[in-house]
Amino acid sequence: MSRATQTPLVRDDRTAYEAAAGAAVGLSGAAFAVGLAALLDVVAIDDPVAGVGLSTAFGAALLALGASVVGFGAASRLGYVDTAPQPSAGLVAAAAFTGIWIAVGAAVAGALGFGAGGRLGVGAVLGVGAFAATALPREDVGSTLPAGAVAGLCGLALVTGVVGPGWERVLADYNATLFGDTVVPVVVLFASLVSGWSAAKAYGGFGARGRNVGAYVLIYLVVGSILAVLVGLVAFVTVKGLPGLLNGFGVGGETLIRWPFLTNGAGLLADTAGVFPALVGTVWLVVGAVLFAVPTGVGAAVFLSEYAEQGRFTGAVEVATNGLWSTPSIVFGLFGAAFLIPRFGNQKSLIAGMLTLGFMLLPLVLITSREAILAVPDEYRDASAALGVSKWQTIRSVVLPAAIPGVTTGVILGVGRIAGETAPILLTMGGGVLPARSAAPAVLSGFRLSGSPPFVSNPALLEATSALPYQLYALITAGLSGNIQNPQEFAWGLALTLLLVVLVFYAIGIATRYYFRQKLHQ
Amino acid sequence: MSQTDTAETAANRTDGQGVSTTAGETVEETRSEWTNYEAGGETKLAVDDLDVHYGDDHALKGVSMDIPEESVTALIGPSGCGKSTFLRCLNRMNDRIRAASVDGTVELDGDDVYQDGVDLVELRKRVGMVFQSPNPFPKSIRENVSYGPRKHGDIETGLLARLTGRAEPDREEDLVERSLERAALWEEVSGRLDDNALGLSGGQQQRLCIARCLAVDPEVILMDEPASALDPIATSKIEDLIEDLAQDYTVVVVTHSMQQAARVSDQTAVFLTGGELVEYDDTEKVFENPESQRVEDYISGKFG
Repeated sequence: MSRATQTPLVRDDRTAYEAAAGAAVGLSGAAFAVGLAALLDVVAIDDPVAGVGLSTAFGAALLALGASVVGFGAASRLGYVDTAPQPSAGLVAAAAFTGIWIAVGAAVAGALGFGAGGRLGVGAVLGVGAFAATALPREDVGSTLPAGAVAGLCGLALVTGVVGPGWERVLADYNATLFGDTVVPVVVLFASLVSGWSAAKAYGGFGARGRNVGAYVLIYLVVGSILAVLVGLVAFVTVKGLPGLLNGFGVGGETLIRWPFLTNGAGLLADTAGVFPALVGTVWLVVGAVLFAVPTGVGAAVFLSEYAEQGRFTGAVEVATNGLWSTPSIVFGLFGAAFLIPRFGNQKSLIAGMLTLGFMLLPLVLITSREAILAVPDEYRDASAALGVSKWQTIRSVVLPAAIPGVTTGVILGVGRIAGETAPILLTMGGGVLPARSAAPAVLSGFRLSGSPPFVSNPALLEATSALPYQLYALITAGLSGNIQNPQEFAWGLALTLLLVVLVFYAIGIATRYYFRQKLHQ
Repeated sequence: MSQTDTAETAANRTDGQGVSTTAGETVEETRSEWTNYEAGGETKLAVDDLDVHYGDDHALKGVSMDIPEESVTALIGPSGCGKSTFLRCLNRMNDRIRAASVDGTVELDGDDVYQDGVDLVELRKRVGMVFQSPNPFPKSIRENVSYGPRKHGDIETGLLARLTGRAEPDREEDLVERSLERAALWEEVSGRLDDNALGLSGGQQQRLCIARCLAVDPEVILMDEPASALDPIATSKIEDLIEDLAQDYTVVVVTHSMQQAARVSDQTAVFLTGGELVEYDDTEKVFENPESQRVEDYISGKFG
């Protein structure tokens, strides 16, 4: 029995073609990367590159990409190279190119001054054309021609300067203006994504292998852009915040390290204003919330997964916890303000903030702990029961240790959320906008024993306390005009400190999880 | 279950032969002389008229058998015949399945384990169990072995015990070494007792599970297909171990492999589809000259 199509197992005549297609993929990747950099303002689109502006260079690259992609398709269709295309590029690609070309048509028609009807008409014609060009011909043409044409058109617009530095368009309907230094990178990202995908398909020789390579390149470029946004965000805050954070920083002298931004308050007498009270407040806040939520949440999870009969009750609890986790934080804050504050001295206090954030953390700890406990294999429970060990001892010495990494993951995620929460502590904890160093809560040294119930008191827990996100919010709403020297720098330094504090909590959580995983598996 | 009920059911079992099944086909009935086997030695476990239901499913039908001490009893039969269910009745592991209900008696040294007031901890200390797939805890080898005694308070290793001078590290070491040696694993792991048990091979893990079971000093060891997840070499080690253990312990082993049953056991009980015990006799007798036609068919591979 002969197969319908037969392709050779080993191909050796496509090296030049593959090299060209590989170079095109590389060029797309480079254009994509530089485009991202331009979008994030790392480079400007009128920076000179090889004697021309970056925008023009982008255009030339896209033109070359478009032409080469179309060339790859033509070479394959005309049989110059040995590829394995399928009969059609497929409906998904056709639909994608239809959408792309409708947008391109409408944009071009708009640029030419057509009205709404004209734009719609041109878009529709080009869309139908793109659908036909993608779906009807063989795959090697269908997945290169529309892609190459898009890239070429974008390149043409950039080379001729139709779109470039200084270009701007007022969007009357949106009351906004588009500028060239945003639009050019976006156009480059989009066109290089499309042509990169197409060139990757050519590199794989179309067919199943080509689709595989194409998807691979597409996914890599998209993942790369997500990472770039993340890195960009962190880098932005770091660059803006470092001057404030390192203001007066030095090594040596009276103390080993001088870091006034972290160790000073913001009083009139402090030579360099700092965020010490808010930093300590945030740390205590998170510690308190974790101390409250983890035992309660894990206990509830043990009850729900080990003791309670699975049924309507556990189902209802599950719905309730999921609902609580998605409850807006301001609602938690209102609850804390209306319920907790009257019970703790009728004023905003650290303990009210701790408990409010603890309530917020509780559902996530409960959900993840429950999942982690359910994921512990039943074999462990059976083995322990068969040794005559009681249920509670089994839970304590086998189930919970095996569930700790999962529980830790939940706590990490939860702490990441609550450490930066502003709304609840705004309502429950308060604190000054620019607290002096003496306003930092002295929780450890604050405990006092007394002769009457509850026998221990801690005034530090009952005082209004500032925390980093709240102080940031208060600085912004106060118009950055407090009596500190450089409020802008101070605020960015504060933001960077908050980011670092959250990252440190993350690092502690991840290290804990790693430690317990190692313990379980080595 | 009252005494008269038991007598009645027993009488029912002894009278006729050749009842019709639901399929309308006539097959021989289980006869009491095939299952009323008198093994040599003291009876360790006496099972009388044991019925198990999982919801509506009648998983075991009136099984009675006496298991003699310090011997290997094999339970064989096709999948779903109730042999594992039977095994799990002997140390009441079926209690952990909510839908299961058990009628009848299982007597351990003359005491019914299903009567009120039975201490499950004590029962399972005396009747240990090894499972089908090796299931060591994700702890060190040492902790796995000493887990049972520690939880029962026989060995104290905690901080408090050390502070009060009640910790007996030597006794723990000794127990771990003896248990591992008895399970034929000591030589392979003596140098790495603090390594995680999950790093052992499948066969080593299973022997560790046997050592863990031996550490609580049981009288009966139940094994549910202990070698079915293992390769032939590991299997033969487990089989040698079973034979060796039978010198001091009463071993009941469920197996899918008739060769294994023939190699290791002193007496064999054959369960067939529907949860009945069809024949129970000396292993040699069962494999060479079974009384029941259905057992002969099963053993020769025509059925099941």
